[in-house]
Amino acid sequence: MAGINSLFKTKILLKPNTFSAIVQNGMAIFPSYYIEPIYKKEDQEALKKSGEISEYVHMPTKAALNSQTCSVSYDPILSLFTNYLMRKGQKELARNLVERSLEQVKRIQLERYHKCNSDEERAKIELNPKIIFHRAVENGKPLLQLMPVKRGGVKYQVPVPISEYKARFLSMNWLIEAGREKDRTKVRFWTQLARELVDASNNTGKVVRRKQELHKQCEANKAYAHYRWS
Amino acid sequence: MRLFPILSGRPRYHARVMQKEPIPFQEILPLKLKATVSGKGTKTSSVCCIQEMSVLFACLSSNEYEQSPCQREIESFKKCYNDYTREKAKKIDRDMKGILTPGEKNLTPKQLNLLLKSYPQV
Repeated sequence: MAGINSLFKTKILLKPNTFSAIVQNGMAIFPSYYIEPIYKKEDQEALKKSGEISEYVHMPTKAALNSQTCSVSYDPILSLFTNYLMRKGQKELARNLVERSLEQVKRIQLERYHKCNSDEERAKIELNPKIIFHRAVENGKPLLQLMPVKRGGVKYQVPVPISEYKARFLSMNWLIEAGREKDRTKVRFWTQLARELVDASNNTGKVVRRKQELHKQCEANKAYAHYRWS
Repeated sequence: MRLFPILSGRPRYHARVMQKEPIPFQEILPLKLKATVSGKGTKTSSVCCIQEMSVLFACLSSNEYEQSPCQREIESFKKCYNDYTREKAKKIDRDMKGILTPGEKNLTPKQLNLLLKSYPQV
């Protein structure tokens, strides 16, 4: 398998000018000039109305993924989270875990809601678990990351700005790791993940603390910020 | 005492011979410019967003790493980085193509070489 991978990697390194006809796009089935599919009905309608659809008609388009639907309940970020959660390709299990933890979030919030005494307090509580999930991911995103840079035989941890994609991945991965960090015999994963989601959406908990620790480390190493890209 | 040089009757030079005027010119490298430029001078080690980063650190540490009071600083930092990455991607794209736009002042080495090739001066 490693041999096959390295074979493909050498192909990526080829300049596009040299073999313009055959360009391998990594391990992807579709070449790089294929556009992403527009699978949402609203987007298609919007394109039809604006008349831009004629541009897309003859464009080579990738096939939509199995999970990509125009359903109301489909959430691309939640689907991404499910994929990050998945181990050994057990998608059904991953989806189950996510659904159960969202249900647990709903239960936690409802419990809080019914314990409230006044309407003002009740209005503050968010009952939609998906909104809570989005808030949790947003609150867990770090602003910087540490990159090892070798200078004079010494590895320095250099603070570097982080891309949106990487920040989202780190936030989600920290959530998953926080969900795994529990008493194995007593607490189920979805219960712990639900707690972490609710905590992170309130800007507290393990994930937010981890993010703040990373920021602290970055500040401690801010003297090395000049070593970037060298 | 070294007798051989004396006895052989050759003149003895202990130092470099004085150059006679006019000194003849030796052309070691050809005396004309090359028809290409090398891209060595364009490499700059610019580290982006250092200023924004230090402002952000100052704000974060004064607020105990709470992000909500530092929204302005965070936004400016993110914007700086996004602008930088976008510009860099654009520049790489343009450099790869080597497209010449009329009236452009700062030319990349690739563009310069294209120009020099199409209008040879030497």
